[in-house]
Amino acid sequence: MTLKKLLLQIALILFLGIIIGLGINFSLLQKYFLGDFRFGFISLDEYTSIMFITLGEAEELFLERNALFIDSRPKETFQEGHIMGAVNIPFEEYKKEKALDLIFLPPEETVVVYCDGSECNSSVELAKVLHKKGLLDIRIFFGGWVEWTEGGLPVSSEK
Amino acid sequence: MIRNKYILIAFRLVVGGMFIWAGVSKIIDPLGFAQNIANYRVFPEGASFFLALVLPWIEVICGLSLISGIFRYSSALLLSGFLVVFLVLITVTIIRGIDIDCGCFGSLSGKVDYKLILTDSVLLFFSLNIFFSHKADRE
Repeated sequence: MTLKKLLLQIALILFLGIIIGLGINFSLLQKYFLGDFRFGFISLDEYTSIMFITLGEAEELFLERNALFIDSRPKETFQEGHIMGAVNIPFEEYKKEKALDLIFLPPEETVVVYCDGSECNSSVELAKVLHKKGLLDIRIFFGGWVEWTEGGLPVSSEK
Repeated sequence: MIRNKYILIAFRLVVGGMFIWAGVSKIIDPLGFAQNIANYRVFPEGASFFLALVLPWIEVICGLSLISGIFRYSSALLLSGFLVVFLVLITVTIIRGIDIDCGCFGSLSGKVDYKLILTDSVLLFFSLNIFFSHKADRE
């Protein structure tokens, strides 16, 4: 087999993969260009109870005391400091211990889930679990702990 | 390099089967896979998304091609290239201390760890043997 033939066949496989992949996922591609996944790769059509919120909206919910804040970071990080009044559901630890099934929250409760900030993903993953558990109003505060502390908003710690 | 015809057929079935399984498990959840790629913190968001839509299909095509025998050498070479990239990515992730799911088999993926390096190295060995068998075929 010549090198030319080999490269030609590889190009054909790549071309086919690209055409099929983009063709079948065309609707996702459209949503991407419309900015649907700017906060994370989650389909809000599928997860209808999930909404992304900004620092301002999170602050408003905090001041109105209308929502339960859930911190999805590891237990130790939570203890070092968290949004005042937040409860800790350490997503990775619970996932490892298969404890996510044990979470119970009333479906009508408004919850705000957060983790470190835009670099982390556990808030989105936890929000998906809460959606499957039937919660109707889940807000993901994507700016998370970093934005909250930069904004000088109330925090507390267990240490 | 292994030249036994039957062992090479077994290699093709193993590598082909693994990549078809890996590809299909990711095709059913492209957004989940996009997030898995983004979690490696290597590719920009747009590249993660594009790869998530395209890579699983290329894996399935290569897997089918290895099993059917059509374009098997070029598929083996392409998959070897992928496996080298995966190995580099896994090693870098372990060194950086990032604790994430590998994303290799969609929602059934395990963590990025040393076991994964071993699995991918074995697949790379099989895959390279399939590729280099084209010389034996020619002789």
